[in-house]
Amino acid sequence: MSDDVRTAAPPPSESETGWVEAALADFAPMIEDGHDFESVTGKIADIVLVEPKKTPRGWILGFAIAFLILQVFFLSAGYLLVKGTGIWGLNIPVAWGFAIINFVWWIGIGHAGTLISAILFLFNQDWRMSISRFAEAMTLFAVACAGMFPLLHLGRPWLFYWLFPYPASMGTWPQFRSPLVWDVFAVSTYATVSLVFWYTGLIPDVASLRDRAKHRAAKVFYGMLALGWRGSATHWHRYQLAYMLLAGLSTPLVLSVHSIVSLDFAVSVVPGWHTTIFPPYFVAGAIYAGFAMVLTIMIPVRKFYKLKDFLTERHLDNMAKVMLVSGLIVAYGYAMELFFGWYSGDTYERAMLLNRLGGPYGWSYWLLILCNVAVPQLLWFKKYRTRTLPLWIICQFISVGMWLERFVIVVVSLHRSFEPGAWGFYHGTKWDWGLYIGTMGLFLTLLFVFMRLLPMIAMFEMRELVHKKKHPGGHG
Amino acid sequence: MSAPARTVPGMLRELETKALFAGAALVLFSMAWGLLFRGATFFRGYLVSYFFWLAPTLGAMGWLMIHHLSGGGWGYVIRRPLEAAAKTVPLMAVLFLPILFGMHHIYEWATPEAAHDPVLQSKAAYLNPLGFAVRAVVYFIIWGVLAWRLIEASRAQDEEPGPAASARLRRLSGPGIVIYVLSFTFAAVDWGMSLEPHWFSSIYGAIFAVGQGLSTMALAIVATAWLAGRRPLDQELTVRRLHDLGKLLFAFTVLWAYLNVSQLIIIWSANLPEEITWYLRRSQGGWKQFAFLVVALQFVIPFFVLLSRHTKRNVRLLVPMCAVILVARYFDLYLWLAPPFSAVPAFRPHLVDLTAFAGIGGLWLAWFCRMLRGLPLIALGDASFSPAAQVKEAPAHG
Repeated sequence: MSDDVRTAAPPPSESETGWVEAALADFAPMIEDGHDFESVTGKIADIVLVEPKKTPRGWILGFAIAFLILQVFFLSAGYLLVKGTGIWGLNIPVAWGFAIINFVWWIGIGHAGTLISAILFLFNQDWRMSISRFAEAMTLFAVACAGMFPLLHLGRPWLFYWLFPYPASMGTWPQFRSPLVWDVFAVSTYATVSLVFWYTGLIPDVASLRDRAKHRAAKVFYGMLALGWRGSATHWHRYQLAYMLLAGLSTPLVLSVHSIVSLDFAVSVVPGWHTTIFPPYFVAGAIYAGFAMVLTIMIPVRKFYKLKDFLTERHLDNMAKVMLVSGLIVAYGYAMELFFGWYSGDTYERAMLLNRLGGPYGWSYWLLILCNVAVPQLLWFKKYRTRTLPLWIICQFISVGMWLERFVIVVVSLHRSFEPGAWGFYHGTKWDWGLYIGTMGLFLTLLFVFMRLLPMIAMFEMRELVHKKKHPGGHG
Repeated sequence: MSAPARTVPGMLRELETKALFAGAALVLFSMAWGLLFRGATFFRGYLVSYFFWLAPTLGAMGWLMIHHLSGGGWGYVIRRPLEAAAKTVPLMAVLFLPILFGMHHIYEWATPEAAHDPVLQSKAAYLNPLGFAVRAVVYFIIWGVLAWRLIEASRAQDEEPGPAASARLRRLSGPGIVIYVLSFTFAAVDWGMSLEPHWFSSIYGAIFAVGQGLSTMALAIVATAWLAGRRPLDQELTVRRLHDLGKLLFAFTVLWAYLNVSQLIIIWSANLPEEITWYLRRSQGGWKQFAFLVVALQFVIPFFVLLSRHTKRNVRLLVPMCAVILVARYFDLYLWLAPPFSAVPAFRPHLVDLTAFAGIGGLWLAWFCRMLRGLPLIALGDASFSPAAQVKEAPAHG
């Protein structure tokens, strides 16, 4: 029997979704009508291959602003290296402030890219095709921004290699039982795999750019990046295998990185940090923030570069649905924190809850609930999922909300711990804010460079979509 | 699958009769044993088995709602078994009565001694007999209404397929999932976590929900594979759909391990007296070896077997794997729920554990078969039903 099954099984590349999609006529398409291979490739490649003199003014303006904000980063980091971490607002009892809040915020944002390119790929979700490249690039840049904070918080960032277990003559050795050390491995693995995954996906497209480029310099640049890709059947076969294996490798990373970040807090005995729901709830929060950021960037880009044919209402709708689901999981996490804080019967847990809800920082908790729980409920309605302006505004609420969530966890839990004699307050100094805003400059600068130099939508995957649209049931 | 001439309704009727008599006899035997000899032993076996069989009842609703929201051929082939399983809510409500009336024998917080325990006193606003009973009634009303409305909307889709019927199912499923997750979380706290009333873990509801998803998926695959030995489902359970079901089974296996490891690392690292006792109790007197067995059966073996594409696409390999997972599910629940029943920390299973399991299981299966007989096996209104699929794809039963 098994032999029959194997021989009669359809080829693995054929997706079942084809005719299901056809049956669900009330959904918007994944690519608008009237496109063929040439129009798809041309439209996306031309954004990159436009002559330097004809670079759109909007891009130049946007890049200039981003680059200006990047200078704030250099200033804040430079001054920090001269004066030391004393210029930050950190002190006892709040010894972990903006540095960890911003680290967690940025690293969470990266997760959307990995989810889209790895998990949705494994589950044959074709709608990921036009957003994966962009989201993966965002992942890389967000991880780069995130890495700045622990690195600079080291005080002497040039000694970062002490974190690795190398045979040091000073006899230093990482504490392997600390999740902070796991973080080093998790985040560096994450950055490496994301980079390789992203680059592998780029190879067929940079080869197209090489072939279409007119200028000698562009031909050489893309030619080197293309690693000799000729598009032969063997190349495609190996490419698909490599891409699937990388997707499989990336999938556990979606869970592991933010779970380990959550353990930084949860393995301690600090009320407000030590609770078992943290790992899944942090992962959901990361996906939530990540999709909000993808949409925040993608909605204006889609309008500016007139990419509505490839980034349709369907994409907005689906991404908004992912946000709704991950947002509800996050809300479930908040509910569990509240209930079990009380149910524990523990004096300190209950005191932490009361302080969180009604203490001096109570406003931050209620603002967090407004941003992360109340406002996003609008996403239940289709009109908020598919209209760009309301959706964009909701995304801003979520981005702020996810920052506040980390503020509540880090600052509000620490500022009043067990002994009232040790209570205190915390606020970020201008250098804290400068570094945070500065990393946004870094993020945006990298994004603008990416949009100018590389195709922001996978051209060959869009050609696959065009092909599938022509043959909705596969090739019988 | 010995006599191909028999039809599905005939098979179901035969199973129903046998399961009903065996189940009723075994439940009565277990109860009689509990009354005559040792109540705690009966309640231990009964509660663990109750949790095991409640899983497919509630998990079926969860999977149905996920299917209605996301679509896909995988959900369409298991849809009828799931609907039949969801219809067992009234049976599970009746079977809850021994727990409700026996709560003073099961839960420490319901005994008079709890009045002298300051921690239990501080939780008494939640953990008290009246609240427990009222909440149980509320849970069953919620689940009953949800199951009834889901099946009604599904029947409406059978009669008049189209976008409107599908939209009705989606509109029901979105809020339905939220209500289901919340109600189940608190039910798990009430009936499971409060067995050790000093202990708490905020991931508890999530771990039970994933376990439920896993049990239900394994049972649904077994049931569908059995039904697909004959017409009409034989043409519908294709290799690709089986593969998708296998993928979901694999995903939930990994999720189970992920959530359990999360809880273990956090509690082990902090090593707080009120939390670590839960693990200490389960790491002595034979429980430790049993816990390792659970990890092997529930994660290590299914992980490596289901990693292979070949297993997920082959009925003859996937069904035995589901059986292993179901055994592991029972062992896992036993590990979570049984230890507090004995004062001595010793792993001592009893015959009544087995009779209670088979008894409740027999009644559940009988009810399930009866409900399944009343449903057309193919959901013609489902968006995934399409004659094209039959031409294109190979049936998994060769």
